Amino acid sequence: MSDDSLTSAAAPGPDDAAHAPGGASVLLAARPLPDGTGPGTWQLGWTGVRTVAVLELRQRIRSTRWTAVLALWTGVLALLTILVRWAVHRIYDESFEGEGLGPGADEAAARLADQVAGRLTFGIIVFLVLSLAGLVSPALSATSINGDRQAGVLATLQTTLLSPAQIVVGKLLAAWVTGLALLAAAVPFIGWIYLDGGTPFGRLAVVVVVLALTILVVCAIGLGWSAITARTSSSAVLTYLTVAFLGPGLPLLFALSVPLVTENKPVAVRQQLYTAEGAPTGCRVAQEERTITYTNRSWWLLAASPYVVVADASPKPLTENGSDDPMTLIRDSVREARLGPRFPLEECYESDQAQQRLDEQRRDQRESLGVTWPYGLAADLALGGLFVAVAVRRLRTPTRRLPTGTRVA
Amino acid sequence: MTEPTVPRAGITARGVRRTFGDVVAVDHIDLDAPPGKVTALVGPNGSGKTTLLLVLASLLVPDAGQVSIAGFDPVTQPRAVRARTGWMPDVFGTWESLTCREVLLTVGDAFALPRAAAAARVDHLLELVHLADLRDRPTQVLSRGQKQRLGLARALVHDPDVVLLDEPASGLDPRSRIELRGIVRGLAAEGRTVLVSSHVLAELDEMADRAVIVARGRTVAVEEVAAAAQARRTWRVRALDTGVLLAALDARRTPHPPPDRDGVEVELGSDVEAAELLAALVRDGVPVVELAPASGVLEQAYLALTEDRR
Ligand SMILES: Nc1ncnc2c1ncn2[C@@H]1O[C@H](COP(=O)(O)OP(=O)(O)O)[C@@H](O)[C@H]1O
Ligand SMILES: [Mg+2]
Repeated sequence: MSDDSLTSAAAPGPDDAAHAPGGASVLLAARPLPDGTGPGTWQLGWTGVRTVAVLELRQRIRSTRWTAVLALWTGVLALLTILVRWAVHRIYDESFEGEGLGPGADEAAARLADQVAGRLTFGIIVFLVLSLAGLVSPALSATSINGDRQAGVLATLQTTLLSPAQIVVGKLLAAWVTGLALLAAAVPFIGWIYLDGGTPFGRLAVVVVVLALTILVVCAIGLGWSAITARTSSSAVLTYLTVAFLGPGLPLLFALSVPLVTENKPVAVRQQLYTAEGAPTGCRVAQEERTITYTNRSWWLLAASPYVVVADASPKPLTENGSDDPMTLIRDSVREARLGPRFPLEECYESDQAQQRLDEQRRDQRESLGVTWPYGLAADLALGGLFVAVAVRRLRTPTRRLPTGTRVA
Repeated sequence: MTEPTVPRAGITARGVRRTFGDVVAVDHIDLDAPPGKVTALVGPNGSGKTTLLLVLASLLVPDAGQVSIAGFDPVTQPRAVRARTGWMPDVFGTWESLTCREVLLTVGDAFALPRAAAAARVDHLLELVHLADLRDRPTQVLSRGQKQRLGLARALVHDPDVVLLDEPASGLDPRSRIELRGIVRGLAAEGRTVLVSSHVLAELDEMADRAVIVARGRTVAVEEVAAAAQARRTWRVRALDTGVLLAALDARRTPHPPPDRDGVEVELGSDVEAAELLAALVRDGVPVVELAPASGVLEQAYLALTEDRR
């Protein structure tokens, strides 16, 4: 086209100096424009957050093979659930048959067996989902900011009225919603195992909530790294390392810290007394040199691991002598570590009854400990918040320093 | 050093300096861009134009110097500056999977524009940059020039008072360049402040009112295009018969170098002198085909000032 549009656009406007309605020019009505004052970096109006989140989600839905990813994810989960369920039930059915509890032999025992099996399956599946979420979630956000910077679209957002906080939170929200979609696809499988029995409803609810929040934290970590590093490969690697540190890394650190909390020193020990003939007569407390590992000083390293958070949030074991599902095992080990050594150390085992009494005492002490998972979860959320704050600070403009190797701010 | 009257709607930059590590990208740039005028920012590659525009667009903090955009300081009042400034970067991407219309509407949302008004404005802008046919196509199918035009529309969505265009003509076909010129003149005619960085000098003669020439990060000259046209410069005369032309010139004692294939170059003091020469030659019966400036108005000033590239 179109020389007439050029001339009309070039025609000077008749009225006010600000904007002339030259030709077909569509101008915005006068609107309040921000002046120098007003909120800045941390301003968090919802419409701005929504703008960014919608932008991100739209791009995700259109540019990724969204249905393929979801189908694959669901397929993997279905396969794992079926396999785990089959394996667990096979083991339990066999072991109970081996003890002569054939069908109808003892209704109550069979039901208990079913429940224990259900619970074991549930624990395994939840840990699998948690691990898979830890593997997949970094991909949702770990290249979000530096990827945009590389593609030259970050500055476009930064020169609008969106605040850095709105950009970061909008991106976080979009990543989280994507993660929640994956979680939603996993819920039917978790629910299926739940319906197998043995799992209290409270545990189901807590597990889903903790999974959702864990995904949020992982997304926040990825977003933070993507704001810190210039290259997308670096931020992806750093995000995976951080997630690995939180999940299996913290328990590993706990194990490695054992030498640091182990001491050789004289402590009170309750010892067996013997007659001259070598027959046990009674007990006596004495100071003796012993190697003691004070896990009560280092147990908190375990608390923030999402595996521990999920496990610790689970209720009391089904049976008196505990059960061997992974959640209960972890829950009891963490509490055992938290309890640490109790003095005097017991080395006077007069009888089986006494031994059993001591074990029960120990178990009661464990159960009387308050829950730790809210603190662990709070620590994780605080870490996520820290990464979000770092990302926001990194997105502040105008900037003094640019990430090395980038050109556009 | 600051001028007594700072134009409220315009751009003022005084002594701007910006370094990246030990690279001095902008050393000392002074610049005024008054409202209603198109100001060209001219300089060789690496002279700091883009960096200066990033400072003006409130993306970079200058190491030294003062900047005022529409009366606001981009460092301390970035929101006020952003609400009034449209920036078209030199290299940029778009959200590839969004359509042209969605890209512009998203920017409108990001500026918190009322939806209905923004939609009308977006449709208008798509017409203006001739992307109306492609409005519902994802931007990844656009050619480079089309993306460039979308970038121009994007800079204008929020009806800014100040428009910063970084090499807007690069990648445009000749027709689009001419249209760009029209759009840019139109923006100035609407009373906006337009700052265009470019190295396509011939184009700036027709597009810009004034030119700020920078080299090695420093302002080296400010030319008023209209005034520059009145300056002494070289013109080229071509006639069907070069012998007759030379005789006529010699008769008028107009000094000239030996002729070449394209005619004869003469030094003339102003447009008036050129008109007089043409009239005289025609009167003398010289079959004149062409009398035109040998180079653009800005080109000569520019070439003289920016010999040292980097
Ligand atoms: N982010 C950066 N880091 C390091 N050097 C830079 C950066 N941006 C620009 N420069 C350097 O600053 C100088 C000016 O660059 P630029 O403003 O892009 O020039 P122009 O736009 O005039 O071609 C160049 O030498 C360039 O290499
Ligand atoms: Mg440039």
